[in-house]
Amino acid sequence: MSTPALYRRAVRRETHSPRSTLAITIAIILALVLAWLGTESVLAAIGQPALLVAPKDIVTAVLTAATAPAPLLVAIGAVAAIIGLVLIVLSLAPARQGRRGSIADRTAAVVDDRVIAQSLARVASYAGDIDPSQVSVSVGARSARVDVTPTSGRRVDQREIQQAVDAEVASYDYRPALRARVRVSSKGTVA
Amino acid sequence: MNSTNRFLNRFFIFVVGLVVLAAGAALSAGALLPDVQRTISENAERAVGPTNDTIDAQPWILWVAAVVALLLILVILWFVFRQGRGHTGTLLQVDEQRTKDTPTGGRVVLDVKVAEQVLEEAIGRNPDVVAVDVTGFRIRKQSTLRLTAHARRGASPVQLRRDIEAAIHEWDGVLGTSTPVVIQIVSGLRTRLASTNRVV
Repeated sequence: MSTPALYRRAVRRETHSPRSTLAITIAIILALVLAWLGTESVLAAIGQPALLVAPKDIVTAVLTAATAPAPLLVAIGAVAAIIGLVLIVLSLAPARQGRRGSIADRTAAVVDDRVIAQSLARVASYAGDIDPSQVSVSVGARSARVDVTPTSGRRVDQREIQQAVDAEVASYDYRPALRARVRVSSKGTVA
Repeated sequence: MNSTNRFLNRFFIFVVGLVVLAAGAALSAGALLPDVQRTISENAERAVGPTNDTIDAQPWILWVAAVVALLLILVILWFVFRQGRGHTGTLLQVDEQRTKDTPTGGRVVLDVKVAEQVLEEAIGRNPDVVAVDVTGFRIRKQSTLRLTAHARRGASPVQLRRDIEAAIHEWDGVLGTSTPVVIQIVSGLRTRLASTNRVV
């Protein structure tokens, strides 16, 4: 495998969830149910009393379940269908992990969105000459929002901050690329 | 980076979801249509007696059920335990055949630990970095280093990456060859506990 292909694979794997937790949880639930069914079968085969329900009673219960009142069956069926639908959606969703990647000649890199947010906050607070605690940044899939709360009685230049943040974002080579928008709150805070 | 089979995970979740969805949909659709429910419930009740007789007459069915359950459990355990593997402790292995000049031949095995200690020492001095972890992975038979840098709050990810790449170029010079490196710049608990960098 050549290095670019290896890096593409690594970046893809670091930026998307493997869905391991969900798969393992389902697998363990299935294994527990199977273990219980197996134990009951063996106990019934050697003529010992059942743990919870004997296999014969399980079969009978399943076969007679269709005679239960319709609203109950519909409710159970609907809940099961919704759970199934959620599982299908989860299995097909990309499951991005809030990171973005970049591949260069020598290395590949993956950066947390949180690092990017903290970096943008620092840039904005220097550009606007405001305390870092008055800047909050949220980074989405393709856009970053920089919210600045000015100190009461001091003017904050929105355009200056926007230019500084844009310059910082332009220096990133991480994909998916970001677009930043700076908003200055109309309310001030007492610093 | 690990060798978890992601397609298998998603396929497994998809199949379970499909089965649950189909069962639920069939159950509620059948219950909503009175004719269907009546037919199925009558036939099912009629089947109760024969099935119980079969189980009584042929106890091996129970053993088969138990064995099938056991086999399925083994498959599930294999599925669970093959998650998250792919770490390696060996970074490099150089074999030298016996030749005229080197009559003994030889083999050099380089641990990931070497890269770990050198890179952690080199990058850990960077004021933008709180901590560095280095682990080795095998991706498609190729030893790959994953370098996780816990960034200090406010560090520029671009500048930080440039600094780390410089350190890696030096490490390449020391090693004499280059192995793939994936840099991870993260912000976690250690970032939150550390103070911000005052000197910029």
